Amino acid sequence: MSRWTFAAAVGAVALWSTGAGAEMQCRASRELLELGNPLAIARAAVAEERELRIVAMGSSSTQGYGATNPKYSYPAQLKMKLEAAMPGIQIHVWNKGIGGQDAEEMVARMSKDVKPEHAHIVVWQVGTNSAIRRDPLTKFADRLRAGIDIGHSLGANFVMMNLQYVPAVVALPDEEEYARVMAEVAKEKNAGLFRRFEIMRSWYNDGMPYAQFVTNDGLHLNDFGQKCIGKLLSMSILDAVNPRRLTGAANTSK
Amino acid sequence: MKAAAPVPPYLAPGRDLRLDFFRGLALWFIYLDHVPNNIVSWVTVRNYGFSDATEIFVFISGYTAVIAYSRMMLKEGWLRAATRIYRRVWQLYVAHILLFVAFTAQIAYASIARDTPQLLEEMQLLGLGQNPYRAIFEAALLKFRPVNLDVLPLYIVLLAAFPPLLPAILRWPWAVLLGSIGLYALAYRLDWNLPAYPEDKVWFFNPAAWQVVFYCGAVLAVVAPALAPLDRRWRTVTALAVLYLLFASFIALSWHYNSLERLIPDWLARQIYPIDKTNLDILRFLHFLAMAWIVRLLVRPNARFLKWPIFHPIRRCGEHSLQIFCLGTFLAVTAQIIVSRYEDSIVSQILVSLAGLVIMSLVAYAASWLKAQARVAA
Repeated sequence: MSRWTFAAAVGAVALWSTGAGAEMQCRASRELLELGNPLAIARAAVAEERELRIVAMGSSSTQGYGATNPKYSYPAQLKMKLEAAMPGIQIHVWNKGIGGQDAEEMVARMSKDVKPEHAHIVVWQVGTNSAIRRDPLTKFADRLRAGIDIGHSLGANFVMMNLQYVPAVVALPDEEEYARVMAEVAKEKNAGLFRRFEIMRSWYNDGMPYAQFVTNDGLHLNDFGQKCIGKLLSMSILDAVNPRRLTGAANTSK
Repeated sequence: MKAAAPVPPYLAPGRDLRLDFFRGLALWFIYLDHVPNNIVSWVTVRNYGFSDATEIFVFISGYTAVIAYSRMMLKEGWLRAATRIYRRVWQLYVAHILLFVAFTAQIAYASIARDTPQLLEEMQLLGLGQNPYRAIFEAALLKFRPVNLDVLPLYIVLLAAFPPLLPAILRWPWAVLLGSIGLYALAYRLDWNLPAYPEDKVWFFNPAAWQVVFYCGAVLAVVAPALAPLDRRWRTVTALAVLYLLFASFIALSWHYNSLERLIPDWLARQIYPIDKTNLDILRFLHFLAMAWIVRLLVRPNARFLKWPIFHPIRRCGEHSLQIFCLGTFLAVTAQIIVSRYEDSIVSQILVSLAGLVIMSLVAYAASWLKAQARVAA
């Protein structure tokens, strides 16, 4: 334990923090934020009832595992951003995220978790755990259909949120297949799709390092990732629900 | 002249300064890591590999548990040692409940004073408002824990299971270690964890997995002399440890540079990720062990730098780990409330980081002073 150890430590800190210095902004292109669904029920609720009730159904991303503080989880951020953007409209967001669950487990509680809240929108974050467990794609698609049917029968619009673009997911051999199936089912079942995978991939391709948006388990979103997804999701939903109030250029700073 | 037979650390007289130093360092790291978006947390170990300060803290807790209670057991019998351990468990429990109340009160105060009721939700205290009786009941059972109050419950469970194993650790250390590793592997495979509140949650630090770090520390306190002569022969171990640390730091560096990240082939990434914290991923555990091995070679118990005055506050904090841990957790919330008002200000992050460490150190000095006074009085 001498001077060279100390020098090495200082050098390492310098090297690492240089990488951290180049923090990039939270953004996504306009096309990527398109949900592909008008969210008619939600829009009517905002216009007529002055209220928007959202259930965030999902696994650890929804629960906020990986964020230092639950207020950074994307559902909490979604609520804050929607409230700021639509003053006078009552916004409710229920966080129904349970870490580790796959599509099948969430379908099993879909009715129980959505019904009592009379949700106008169900944001369904799903796919990652199914992909990690290598659920067969046809079975995965059937689960999605079943879940959406339950939500629809309870009178809610759907916004499907697909997989996160993180090392643990990117390393899977067929993660893009799961994203593709989700897009197909969303279209078939008349649900919106929030393309988290493609959005986050665009961050990465623009040179944003994983350390900025992923925790060091390589799977979960960190504070920045959660906040940014919450913000972009709120922009997508606002565009659908309140088209007159355009959110402006999608490229905005955090 | 032949040296006397090596004495295991648990029988050696005097205090091993390394324990206080590294435990103090872990406490400082835990504080810095608990302040969100903190630029100062760049110095902490979690940025340079897979494991973080929690492993250091739990490992040293196991190591010191053997040192503190084995001598007592050998001198005054198992029953007396076990009673003392349970008194310590009780102290930890009281500290945790006190911390829970202080933590909650601070957040309640901040949210009332600043009229920000969402703060309660933010700190996972919502259960308290929705069903206070149930939440208090679950808190008493260690199942309901607001954010960042996860380490003490782990420590409580680990220490509560310790007395029956203490004699076995002294007599058959390797068997205990084997059993501990076995439980770790089983828990990983069968997804064992303790339930938490609200429903469907589990412990953030799975005790069935994290016990392996604790018992590694405990067993090492007994078998350390057996390792000493192997140091020179175990060049390969050292080489492997260094290689592994370099590998881990390369992976950690790749999180900051996409050009490096693209060099990692998919098959390798599939083996690495995810690096689970709740169940102590094997990569984390190995990273800690490699680090511990290298530190053991580099830092001898009597290393001079341990006595440098600038490190004195760190050692003082390590000597009073329970008080300083609780204080650090409490102050991290204060820091969080302050920093959240100046979200992107680097100055505020640096100031609250320094202020927190200074307060922790001052309290540690005060605790030492009180202890010395009590000793003089007695």
